[in-house]
Amino acid sequence: MSLRRIFLLPASLVTIGLFLVPMTIVLAYSLMTRGPYGGQGLPLTLENYQRFFDPLYGEILLRSFWIAGETTILCLILGFPLAWYITRSGPRRDLLLQLVMLPFWTSFLVRTYAWVFLLRDTGLFNTILMATGIISQPLPLLYNHGAVLLGLVYTSLPLAILPIYSTLERLDYSMVEAAADLGAKPITTLFKVILPIATPGLRAAAFLVFVPSLGTYLTSDLLGGGSTILIGNLVQNQFTTARDWPFGAAASLILMAIVLVGLWAVTRNGEDVL
Amino acid sequence: MRRRNFFMALSGLAGCTSQTKPRLNVINYSDYIAKETVPAFEREFNVQVRYSAVIEGSEETIAKTMSGNSGWDVVFPENRLVSPMREMSLLTPLDHKKLPNLTNLAPRFQTPAWDKSLEWSLPYLWSNCGILCPSKLAINSWQDLWSQTYKGKVTMLDEPSEVFAACLKVLGYSINSNSAEELRKAQKLAIDQKKILRAYLNTEVRDQVASGDVTAAQLWQGSAQLTIDQAPHLHFVHPKEGYSLYCDCVAILAESRRKDLAHEFLNFLYRPQVAAANSKASRASSPCSEDNEQVLAKGEWFQTSSAPTQRLRDRLWTEVKST
Amino acid sequence: MRPTLLGLYATLIYVFLHLPLVVLAIFSFNSSKLTHWQGASLIWYQTALTDPALLEATANSLIIATFSTILATIIGTLAAYALWKQKARWITASLSVSLVTPEIVTAISLLALFQIIFRTLSLQLGMHTVVLAHLSFCLVYVVMVILARLRTMDNTFEEAAQDLGATPFEAFWHITLPMLKPGIIAAALLAFTTSLDDYVITSLVAGVDSETLPMIIYGMARRGVNPAVNAISTIIVVGLGVLIVISQRLEQRT
Repeated sequence: MSLRRIFLLPASLVTIGLFLVPMTIVLAYSLMTRGPYGGQGLPLTLENYQRFFDPLYGEILLRSFWIAGETTILCLILGFPLAWYITRSGPRRDLLLQLVMLPFWTSFLVRTYAWVFLLRDTGLFNTILMATGIISQPLPLLYNHGAVLLGLVYTSLPLAILPIYSTLERLDYSMVEAAADLGAKPITTLFKVILPIATPGLRAAAFLVFVPSLGTYLTSDLLGGGSTILIGNLVQNQFTTARDWPFGAAASLILMAIVLVGLWAVTRNGEDVL
Repeated sequence: MRRRNFFMALSGLAGCTSQTKPRLNVINYSDYIAKETVPAFEREFNVQVRYSAVIEGSEETIAKTMSGNSGWDVVFPENRLVSPMREMSLLTPLDHKKLPNLTNLAPRFQTPAWDKSLEWSLPYLWSNCGILCPSKLAINSWQDLWSQTYKGKVTMLDEPSEVFAACLKVLGYSINSNSAEELRKAQKLAIDQKKILRAYLNTEVRDQVASGDVTAAQLWQGSAQLTIDQAPHLHFVHPKEGYSLYCDCVAILAESRRKDLAHEFLNFLYRPQVAAANSKASRASSPCSEDNEQVLAKGEWFQTSSAPTQRLRDRLWTEVKST
Repeated sequence: MRPTLLGLYATLIYVFLHLPLVVLAIFSFNSSKLTHWQGASLIWYQTALTDPALLEATANSLIIATFSTILATIIGTLAAYALWKQKARWITASLSVSLVTPEIVTAISLLALFQIIFRTLSLQLGMHTVVLAHLSFCLVYVVMVILARLRTMDNTFEEAAQDLGATPFEAFWHITLPMLKPGIIAAALLAFTTSLDDYVITSLVAGVDSETLPMIIYGMARRGVNPAVNAISTIIVVGLGVLIVISQRLEQRT
């Protein structure tokens, strides 16, 4: 149908021009050599990829996966009960859902900055703890792994709750009641009835939290104090201070490849993300 | 109805952006110019200047302008970045005929090591790196920043060149060392320091030192002095092992479409009262005056590293951060 | 017992989600920079609202978000409709991949693109580059939302209209599009807020005259705690909150 083709044309142009072509350019850069002071040029080489296969970068990659994993698991564990609660709250559902999403709609930077404000030695938490005499020295709450994790969980939690909620919403509660009638304990009902239905939502939530957390660098910048380096920091560094675009391009593509392989493994039964 | 309003809004926007006065785009560090300098220039030459004070680290200058189409006219690269920028064809050669005020430069800055004929850049403000801490503490060397007494309360700059400079000085080497052996020893020191280090922070550490969150911070003298103005119980230490000197220069980008106006701006910066005002506002030293001779004596200027050395340093820094 | 325990848990989570923003807001009215309350004052709001750089950045953010949203919504709705009628694997695959691409990678790919094109054409980075960059990620979200909505819809209405003699375009315009309205509003809202909030991509492709609000906030945040940031943040949160509530009311009325 030619109407369909016309409708698809602008999006096709955008996809080609603003996604496929830039990605090809990145691929091309990853195969080039860095100029003496920055920039890139021939000869073509695989050196940038080879350079990545080094324990140092492997360690950085692993650390990034680890923190993204921790964030995801925490978001799932914290988010699931809340999603369940909202599903079961009857007429207040919409309001409760909106209250969850409201922080998420506001600026990501603002939300991260809020935690800097709270966690500093002279921030709110320490001020209160010291004023009430619980501690005599301020606790170093900022600039460590915990602070970064907290920031990541805080910004990702609403995003996890939403898909879990939308699958739980379709749960027929009478099945839970039936299970109870048949003598099942709440724990059993949870694992045998509720979780299997919630699994697509949990998977979607895991996906929505894991991927952005993997590429994060702002949160670790503001809350981590620059002491650790994640893959997001590494890539960003290559394109700003280190001026090594070819290596940065190679690192980016390797990261993307890993994510895509993981995605393919997870959606093996052929569902499209879109 | 709605469509008409949209088009009217568009034309209104277009009207806003059309210029009547010529415009100059300048990008610089934060807190690095006197408040009056830019407005005075705008008034006298009847132009508009977009002055953006957003750069935090020195490398950002190159990163932002590397593409060759960033839109900036005047930039302030650090002295050791002038060579790389020139090699990458990012700078315009300066026409000294348009810069009569250069005679106001102090003799020792008229042929600086990084740009002997001042062909590509002019020294703007120079300063050094040291330690900001409360006056009552007995800190007077870099070595003190490794002391267990200040565990968890020490910060260093998030700049590989400065951190390694401090480490190299503790070991007695030059800050511009390109010996792999010396650099690795410096790296080991940096990794050792991480056990007592709070974080790697740049200017954001200032109010943390003022409030006591941080006891001692490696910081640039200009920034430190600004903090001391607000918090007089602090003072700035010139470490006794020696320290790094740097000079922020002003240059005109090759991509600039307003080179004449840019030259006027540069010339304006070298009027004695303007230079003095800039120096006072930023608390860094002006190359137009002969002051602070003793600071120069114990310091060492940063030099441009060769490409292999730069790569080694990058790698060592990534390793430090990754530990 | 279980409901109350769960209720307590839910309350804790809600407090966790909202506390930082509430604290930020409260201290935006503090007359001093420190965390000790020293009297209410609007001084930080005054500082924020009279700062020319800030005002310009806000205007830029809004202009960019508006243009990106309009373009993305139009292009995306049309595309989603076309994809609903018949799949085009290469487009959905590309859009899916761009969804999983880390933001920094998207940012550098666009910077590389603009660098090459603009250098040959002697153009400079500016508002237009930011709008294009935002279009690329807003489009994905719009297509996602509208396509999801279309998939829950019944296409027999369109078939009926065409049986009665309507052209395909008329069927789309008079039948499907009105039914899609809530979805379009939701998609536009998503695109708008995402565009307003973006920092990573914008910071790399912005030019001289296109500093946006997130860029300014980040710059201020990196220089230390500054209650003016609190003030701006509160304004943003309240502003967006009001926007959301209004759009929800609109959606409920349609």
